[in-house]
Amino acid sequence: MATPGRSSRWDRWLASRIRPENPTRLTQQRIYILPTLEGVAFGCVLVVMLLAAINYQNSLAYGLTFLLAAVLFISVLHTYRNMVGLVLSAANSPPVFAGDVASFRIHLDGAGRARRAIVTGWQAAPTQTAPASSHTVDVEHDALVPADLSREALTRGRFRPGRLRVESRFPLGLIKAWSWVDLDLATLVYPRPVEGDLPLDVHTGSEKEAGAQSPVLSMGVDDFQGLRRYQPGDSKRRLHWKAYSRGQGLLVKDFAAAGGQDVILDFDALAGAIEPRLSLLCYWVLELSGRQQTFALRLPGEYIAADVGDAHRDRCLRVLALHGVQA
Amino acid sequence: MSKKPAMEQAIPRASLTWLLVAQFLVILPHLGHLPLWISALWIACAYWRIQVYRMRARFPSALVKAALMVGTIAGVYLSRGGLVGLDAAVVLLVAAFILKLVEVRTRRDALVLIYLGFFTVLTRYLFDSEILTAAFSLLPVAGLLSALVGLQHSGVVVRPWSTLKLAMTLMLQAVPLMLVLFLFFPRLGPLWSLPQPSERGVTGLSDSMAPGEIAELSRSGGLAFRASFDDPVPARNQLYWRALTFDRFDGRRWTQTPQGFAAASPDWQAVGDPVRYSVIMERSAKPWLFALDVAQSDDDAIRRKSDFRLERTRPVERTFFYRATSWIDARLEPESPSAAVRRALQLPATGEPRARGWAQELRRQYSDDRALAEAVLRQFREQPYVYTLRPPTLEGDAIDAFLFDTRRGFCEHYAGAMTFVLRAANIPARVVTGYQGGELNTAGNYLQVRQFDAHAWVEYWIEGAGWVRADPTFQVAPDRIERGLEEAVSGEQSFLEGDPFSPLRYRHLGWINTLRLQWDELNYGWQRWVLDYQAEQQGSFLQRIMGHSDKTTLIGIVLLGGLVVLGALAIWIIKPWRRRLAPLDRAFSQFERLLQKEGVQRLPAEGPRTYAARAAQALPAAANEIRGFSRAYEQQCYETDDAHTQPLSDALRALRRSLGKGATR
Amino acid sequence: MRTKLSDCLQAVNDVLLGKDQQVRLALTCVLAKGHLLIEDLPGMGKTTLSHALAKVLGLGFQRIQFTSDLLPGDILGTSVFDKNSGQFVFHPGPIFSELVLADEINRATPKSQSALLEAMEEGQVTIEGATRPLPDPFFVIATQNPISSGGTFILPDSQLDRFLMRLSLGYPAKAAERALLLGESRRDILPRMSTVLDREALSLLQDQVAHVRVSDALVDYVLRLVEATRTQPQFALGLSPRASLALLGASRAWALLEGRDYVIPEDVQAVLPAVVAHRLRERTDQGAGNGSGALVRWLLTEVPAI
Repeated sequence: MATPGRSSRWDRWLASRIRPENPTRLTQQRIYILPTLEGVAFGCVLVVMLLAAINYQNSLAYGLTFLLAAVLFISVLHTYRNMVGLVLSAANSPPVFAGDVASFRIHLDGAGRARRAIVTGWQAAPTQTAPASSHTVDVEHDALVPADLSREALTRGRFRPGRLRVESRFPLGLIKAWSWVDLDLATLVYPRPVEGDLPLDVHTGSEKEAGAQSPVLSMGVDDFQGLRRYQPGDSKRRLHWKAYSRGQGLLVKDFAAAGGQDVILDFDALAGAIEPRLSLLCYWVLELSGRQQTFALRLPGEYIAADVGDAHRDRCLRVLALHGVQA
Repeated sequence: MSKKPAMEQAIPRASLTWLLVAQFLVILPHLGHLPLWISALWIACAYWRIQVYRMRARFPSALVKAALMVGTIAGVYLSRGGLVGLDAAVVLLVAAFILKLVEVRTRRDALVLIYLGFFTVLTRYLFDSEILTAAFSLLPVAGLLSALVGLQHSGVVVRPWSTLKLAMTLMLQAVPLMLVLFLFFPRLGPLWSLPQPSERGVTGLSDSMAPGEIAELSRSGGLAFRASFDDPVPARNQLYWRALTFDRFDGRRWTQTPQGFAAASPDWQAVGDPVRYSVIMERSAKPWLFALDVAQSDDDAIRRKSDFRLERTRPVERTFFYRATSWIDARLEPESPSAAVRRALQLPATGEPRARGWAQELRRQYSDDRALAEAVLRQFREQPYVYTLRPPTLEGDAIDAFLFDTRRGFCEHYAGAMTFVLRAANIPARVVTGYQGGELNTAGNYLQVRQFDAHAWVEYWIEGAGWVRADPTFQVAPDRIERGLEEAVSGEQSFLEGDPFSPLRYRHLGWINTLRLQWDELNYGWQRWVLDYQAEQQGSFLQRIMGHSDKTTLIGIVLLGGLVVLGALAIWIIKPWRRRLAPLDRAFSQFERLLQKEGVQRLPAEGPRTYAARAAQALPAAANEIRGFSRAYEQQCYETDDAHTQPLSDALRALRRSLGKGATR
Repeated sequence: MRTKLSDCLQAVNDVLLGKDQQVRLALTCVLAKGHLLIEDLPGMGKTTLSHALAKVLGLGFQRIQFTSDLLPGDILGTSVFDKNSGQFVFHPGPIFSELVLADEINRATPKSQSALLEAMEEGQVTIEGATRPLPDPFFVIATQNPISSGGTFILPDSQLDRFLMRLSLGYPAKAAERALLLGESRRDILPRMSTVLDREALSLLQDQVAHVRVSDALVDYVLRLVEATRTQPQFALGLSPRASLALLGASRAWALLEGRDYVIPEDVQAVLPAVVAHRLRERTDQGAGNGSGALVRWLLTEVPAI
């Protein structure tokens, strides 16, 4: 296939032609049309038929060959019509954790014409471990049809899955019309939560006694709160196996530690590389929010005051996701 | 969820349904000439495939497939006596088309099947190019296209009728482009020779003549050829279509001397005005053509032999179109006796004593050859000879028996007997076979000549006059020449007696006859304008519309015409004007551009009225005109149903004037 | 007819000083046969506005003060045993009047709220198995305190959707407040106000609203607006078809009030904040957090009008 140099030049050329635009209307300038492999085969069949017509000097054979050739040409128009004027727009996509599959919702708007078998997918997915999804939908003439595309988000930060390829082979499958569309898709990727212990930095004045006794905020053993449903990221050690064997599903024993104290999740208090630290913080943001516990978050150059609730959690996760990646 | 490549996916139900339907339609017209076991094979395979679809049977294993293949090939070999030749090839193709059905699993298999189907439809045309065959073949093509549409991943293809509708739409829209291609795509001669459809019993004149053979032929109502004249059709008794001459008699059968007429064209003298006509000849599997005397054709592949007949270099294996010019009253070989004339005196050494005796007697009576021939004709006219389609079988000296005992015979009896008598009297004479007369289709102004118009007559040679035509049948049954066979034999009810349902038998019923003639006219047009539209016809068509004809012009017309038709269809299919109120939008963007030049830019979400108010404030000099345009736009865009652009362009003009004035001031 | 409309506006404006735009929207709401929700702090003139409207339109008027102990029966009515006749006699509640002022609706329990809101939606009430039609016209003006005030039950989205418009009056301008302070007490003026429109004239006007022309170009604009809320990332949920119908209906009424028999984009823009603001939610993770006001502003500045 193409050498890296060539493909990057190709990407640059595409990027210069295709500007990010949301929504995007497919216009004549951005639709490409070529016969498919099946179309080429059909052409070969037509050539054979034409040879038979010539050699047998048979007018009806000529007629059939020409009829099918004309159908092939007409299908170019139909395929083009199926694409031109189609409006694609991207809705917001929910944030994900790194390593999860991010899903993007694309809206296809028929813009006054029914569209058949429109395939949307990623332009290219060379390094994907999960299969890049593609989606085939019909769009009624005044309908807004959603198509969900997913792609694995590997790294934390703002994830841009890149250009989309929109293709249609309707009605005969002999001709394909396609277009590359940059809807400026993006979603927030939180760090992957990784369980672990955290040095405790207690906010209030009572830090002395708490700090002296337990320098680490861990899965406390002091205060059993109850059982809750297992969530990915929970420690296997805390699974309630008895309940599982009773067929009650996966439950986790939940303990509260350092109750009633505001904690600060401090990046600088942790050791190690940046990403594991962020993963740990992420884990604790989720954990503390799940327990409805108040906490503050401190990152280099960023401080979020102690609060509780979903909005607070989202704000913290956002800061963790974007730490050090935003210009 | 790992997705298979599109081509590897299973066939949707709609497509499979259409495949089965289309396959049935493809095979149906072939059934007539396919061995019977092929039909059984198809039913078995279709049933099998349906059971597979319903998960009640499995796809064939490799072994079963191989066995089926070998069995089929063996079957074709046994029933066709070989695997070469067009016939066997078509049977093999159909068999492959059928067998492929069983193992169709994926979209790619379906595609192969569909493409095979298109080709199988085409092969049918090699055997049969009737108008009905052509019309019928549109059905399998529509079915195959539907199957192709059905392979798409769309909700529409779930409903079989909408799939069919789409396929039909495509076909209908393809018609104009097809016509352009058909008319102007350059026609080439055959690039290489291919096996032709094998000989099937073609009725027609044969290359020899024995008593009773033409009578046999006259039982057929099959079409021999159609001829259309540029000028009025000549009188019926002038319409002697020469096909062959027989100059050799072995006592029973008249034949041609081998290589006898290969010589160069004999000399002849044109007399009177030429008659121009074109002939569409049905397949005869013989090289000779039919023409009035003395005919000449511009076609390189047609030559005139030394007995004045036209012959083509190859046998007429499919309907053949040619033009000819004839001088009906021409003199044939009037001067020195050629080899052909000398051969026209050959007789068997013995036999037919009574006829020979009569000839000697006549010779004694008449020294003039012409008078002698007249005497022979008079004999036929005055003695009780009977013209009949049911002549008695004659053994031994057949001519003697016919002339003096039975006196019942068909044209070949009379022509043979007369030629024999003339030769016995030392006058060069020969039998000519061909067709006489024909039925005039007044609506189409052309002549249809059928097998029962087959005829045999006599030519004898006289120094100075050349070959003179004499028709003894005319003496016996003038009706045969003046009005046709049906009238001539009306007394004995023998016309087309082997074929009770032939519409030709009911010619006296007015409406059936009208229908028959119209149908024939349609076929004639089909033959002439569709089936025979090859290089020559295309050339003359192009000549007529363009004034000249060559391949470059054709290619130019194909490209240009194709583009024009495609463009028109593109406009019709894509309907770019469907954008709402485009002229109004255009006017408004002009308005915006005008004000933009003056420094008032519209905000994206600003409505026309707000924008105009702002602009009027910024440009007080043109305030009235700006408000005027905005009012007009509002009126056309939001107030009325039928929008006009005139008020807008008026308002724009006023605004332009006012702004221009402001600038110059 | 037109002059009567402007008379109405004038009469209400005389009472509620400096609130021209809000009065106009309120009247639009009546003409479009929609219910009105006024959200503001106490003492901003909510009650005055509804009183004045009832007066000039000549409608029967009832006021319900919503409290936390209000029961559905207090709104709809109850059957009482009558000793004289020996039968239960239905005593209709305050809802059986043409204009209902539901004051501080968010102080009542959801049960009482929904009693009112269901009546609004269906135009009839079912009490003890008997279905009783509400008068025609039937028009509800509900008021509520801003959500942050304590001791309230927030109206759920599905019920907010039943109000055609949500208005907030806001503080009066200085000049208007000066006139208010110097002038006569509002409570004294109200009883003296004369009826400008009668019932027939009102229903005639409401019919006219339905005939105000909406061109394809304008419908396209409305569709563009609605579509933007459904596809743009900052909107948590898009406008429902009911909302787009409401928007078009209100635009028609506004156009009629403006003295036109066709709708132009400016009409849509005029009613847009009042009609859609309470139906929009912003996504929380986008970080801006400016509430639906920002969304409406975005719609008004970014969606092409032509």
